[in-house]
This record gives sequence, structure tokens and C-alpha cells, in this order.
Amino acid sequence: MTDCTETMTDCAETMPDCAETMPDCAETMPERNNPTSDDLPTAPLSPRERVPEGRVRDAFEDGVAAALAMAAGEETTVTWRRDRKGVSTGWCRLPSGEALLPAARAVAELHGRLAMVTPYLPERAKERGEREIAYHFDLDGATLTLTVVLPLEWARVPSLTPIFRNCDWHERELMELYDVQVVGHPDPRRLFLDHTLPHAPFERLVPYSTFTNAATSKALWDKVLAGEREDA
Amino acid sequence: MTTKIIELGPHQLALEEPMYFRVQLEGDRVADLDVLPGQVHRGMEHLVMRRNLYQNITLLERLCSLCSNSHPSTFCAAVEEVAGIAIPPRAEYLRAVADEIKRIASHLFCCAVQANAIGEIPLFRRVMEVREIMQRAKEAIYGNRMDLAANVIGGVRYDLPPEAIAYLYQAMEDMKKPLDELYLQFANNPALMARMAWVGVLPSEAAVECAVVGPVARACGIDYDVRKKSPYGAYDRLDFEVAMQTAGDVRARNLVRLAEARQSVSLIEQCLAQLPAGPLCVDTLPEIPAGEAIAKSEAPRGELMYYLRTDGSDFPVRLKWRVPSYMNWDALKVMLKGEPVANIPLIVNSIDPCIACTDR
Repeated sequence: MTDCTETMTDCAETMPDCAETMPDCAETMPERNNPTSDDLPTAPLSPRERVPEGRVRDAFEDGVAAALAMAAGEETTVTWRRDRKGVSTGWCRLPSGEALLPAARAVAELHGRLAMVTPYLPERAKERGEREIAYHFDLDGATLTLTVVLPLEWARVPSLTPIFRNCDWHERELMELYDVQVVGHPDPRRLFLDHTLPHAPFERLVPYSTFTNAATSKALWDKVLAGEREDA
Repeated sequence: MTTKIIELGPHQLALEEPMYFRVQLEGDRVADLDVLPGQVHRGMEHLVMRRNLYQNITLLERLCSLCSNSHPSTFCAAVEEVAGIAIPPRAEYLRAVADEIKRIASHLFCCAVQANAIGEIPLFRRVMEVREIMQRAKEAIYGNRMDLAANVIGGVRYDLPPEAIAYLYQAMEDMKKPLDELYLQFANNPALMARMAWVGVLPSEAAVECAVVGPVARACGIDYDVRKKSPYGAYDRLDFEVAMQTAGDVRARNLVRLAEARQSVSLIEQCLAQLPAGPLCVDTLPEIPAGEAIAKSEAPRGELMYYLRTDGSDFPVRLKWRVPSYMNWDALKVMLKGEPVANIPLIVNSIDPCIACTDR
């Protein structure tokens, strides 16, 4: 445990130096000095011991922040919050859409698991002309959220599916519900929605009976009756 | 060898919910698979933005039947995190009791459905008979056999009076022997071994790549349980081992589930023994401020995650959740590859699929 803390602190210090040689450095990082999920204090500690703000957690949080800053630019900062049980959530607003791919690669290097993707229209989205997508990653129990801010119109994000296989469905769902283009997705078909539905229904008014393919309500009976007339 | 594409629906797959598969066959073996979800897409993530936070507890409980307590309790945890509400200790334990009762019932249902899928009807009946103890406990304590309506923002809305505690202790006692027997049967019965061992294998590397969670991941040797990794509620004071297997086949997934059901019995007993006195819910709720929060819990099928964003009003700006089944469908491609057609219903049911949850 003590060893682990020390190596992590070293790592944070040496990282700015290797920023220039990043591609080479990134490959050798996991075994050398980067905090991986194996280094985290999980199994050997009882739950009670995990709760206090240990130095190991601090070092882990600093390590993640340093890795992101190195990958996505100096101005990338992570704000960490801990809940009453000591579970960390990290929040990071990426400086630009271009920073998403390198930041996601850095999370993959840290053995992060893509947990969820949340596209949304924030408060006063129309006024500000902005939309956001939050990518939530699991880092051995801690959750890191990377948020990208995109224009409301003509929004484009790179696909993370080549890095995280399970991003496939998240991005297919994102593309059909919101007006966002995912560039480089290997299989950009609709996932849940029928082809008769309009594009991006979460951004426009679609009657509920249309949305559910007339599974309920008057629209269903209209369809049934229209079918009867055709038969006659 | 002939290549053929067949389409399978809920009837052929012995599913109680609609999900369709387009399966590419080489001879009688599965070569590739396309999953066609969306048959019960109800636009629920849109509906929750048109309801206030209190109404959403009711709506989310109706998202799915088998994990119906995990959704409202995790949603409430997200609201509590945004508003900085600390729920009373008694409520933490009562939430755990409700979650664990649902977990036992859900895991047994999954094992029963698989017994049915391979024609072991007496075993199917036996597992459902054992599960009935939990169904009756739910009915006795919560007044309902599926949706418990146990959660409110800031705590719970049910209590366990001394006679209910005694009743639940007895129900837990009644579960122990049958659960141990079922575990041994799923582990050693030659007829079950022949159908379930080395069938639908998910190697652990593929499990990591597909990012599966819950019993499907733990059956491949991935030691991940939200109750341990990100403790919430009362779980930081409860003692349990993460149930693990390494084979990654149908048998291993069922053994993880049955071991977990047995541990849930122990967890409920611990909750009843430690149950602190005190209020069930915070007295007054603060205004829910603008903010964002993540809440996670270990639902019966694995990690359930909620993201809530608020703007200071009663309506969420965004409420998004990801159910554990979401990643399991992709893992089916690995599990089914090379398997004979006859094994498809069993393997599909072995991921404990939840389609209402997946489609939303």
C-alpha cells in the first residue's frame, strides 16, 4: 500500500516531462508508473477501512487527473467528489470536442470501463446554442465523467466504439434519439426506434401513440379500422 | 456446409418479453448474430423529463418487474446525492432488505426459466416453489408480489414491526436448506451438467471487452460487485463474500446466482439483527438544487447506474440510466458462436435477459 502511494506520487510528478513523447510513454505507462485498477485498495481492505480519505485514494485521483491533462491538454481538470461512503466521482469538462478521443484513450490505458453515455440538452440549451454529452467511466468503483460541449446544430463527435466495444449500442441510441452525428461508427443503424419514426425524437414533439408505434390509444384503432377497409 | 439465416422471436426462445434475433447458421451451428431490440421501447427517458422527481419514483418502479426495487432506490440515491440528503440509518437497512428480497426472487426466477428451457419441468416447479416463499414475504410485508413501493426521497415508506421481523427471520430460515439443495443440484446433477456445463462460454477476456457486469461477469472470474466496490446504503456495514466462478458457462452463471441468493439470506438476517431504531425518512426535504450526480447499485443483474441533472426545479433536466442487461446482449454473440441451434434458448436465458429494462 505504501509502495503504491509512492509510485503514484512519482507518476504525477514525472508526467509533465513526458508530455512531449506521449505516444511512446503511453505504451509503457501501465506497468511502470501509472495507477492501474490493480493498484487500487479494494480486496485487501474491509469496507470500513475504505471510507476514510486515504492517501491512496488521493494519489489515485491525482494520477487520473494527470493522465487526462497529459492526454487532452493542460487545461483539463478533474473535480473529485466523495459521497458519505467515500465513493469517488470525478467530473471533467473537456476543453474541446477534439480532446474526447485522446482523453478516452487515456481512460482505456487506466483500465477504465465505459459505463454509460448520456446525451442531453442542458438548461437553456436553445439560448446558448449548446448541447452536451457525458461519458461515464468506471475506474474500479470510482466513476469518472467526461463531458463534451457541442453546438446545438451540426453536432459531431468521434466514435469511441473502436476503443470501447460496448460503446456501440450507446452511440447507436445517441444517434437516433438526438441530432448528433457520430463519426466513424462501424454500424450506424437505428437500434430501438422503428424507421417510420422521425429522426431525433427527443428534440421534437412526437405524439406518444406515434412513438410507441400506436401500441395504445386511438391511433391503434385508426390503423385497425384502416386495415379493415382495405380488406373489404 | 450451408449458410442460412433464421429469425428467432420470443416464442422460440422461451422469453416472456419480446426480443428478436437474426441468427446466421453454418450447418446447425451459430456463426453470427444480430440482436433486434426496441419492441417494448416506451420512450421512458423522455417521459421522466415530463414528470417531477416524486412522480418519477412511481414511474421508474414500473420500468421492469424483476428489478423493480433497484430503479426507484437508485434514483432516490441520485436525488439525495444532488440535494445532500443523508437518509436515516434505519432506512438504509430497510432499503437493503427490500433489494435483497428482490434479488433472491429474481435469481430463482432466472434459474427456474432455464430449467424450463431444457425440459426439466419438475426442477422448474421446485425452484418456483422455493421462490414462492419470497413472493409471499413480499406480499406480507409490502402488500404486493412485484412492485414493493418501498422508497421515497430521503428514506423508505415501510417499516418492519417486531412481528414482521420475526416472520422474515422464519422465511429466511425456510430458504436456507432449499437454496443449499438447489446449489448442489445445479452444480452436480448429471442431467443439468450435460446441458449447462461448457455451454455458452464467455471467456474472461471477452467479458472485459464486452464490459459485462453482475453474475455474467462474476461467472467469468471478474471480481466486481457494486456493493463492495462502491458501497452504498447499509452495505458498508454488512459482511458478505462476492460470489465467483471461473468457467464462464451457463452452469457457472447459475452457481453465482444461487450462491448470491444464499448470501442475500444472510444479508437480510444481518440487516434484521443490526436494524437500528429511528425514523424511516428525513423530516423535511430541502429544495432540490441545480446539480448533477451519479448513483450506482448492484441490481440482481449487476451494476445499475443513474445520472441525474437538475436545474433547481422539480423536473429533471436529464435522467439517464443504464441497466446491466444492456451489455449482455453483445456478449451473447460470443456465447452463442459455434453453439448448436438447440442451445440458443438456454444460453439466451442464462444472461437473465431483461428486455423492458433494455428498451426503456
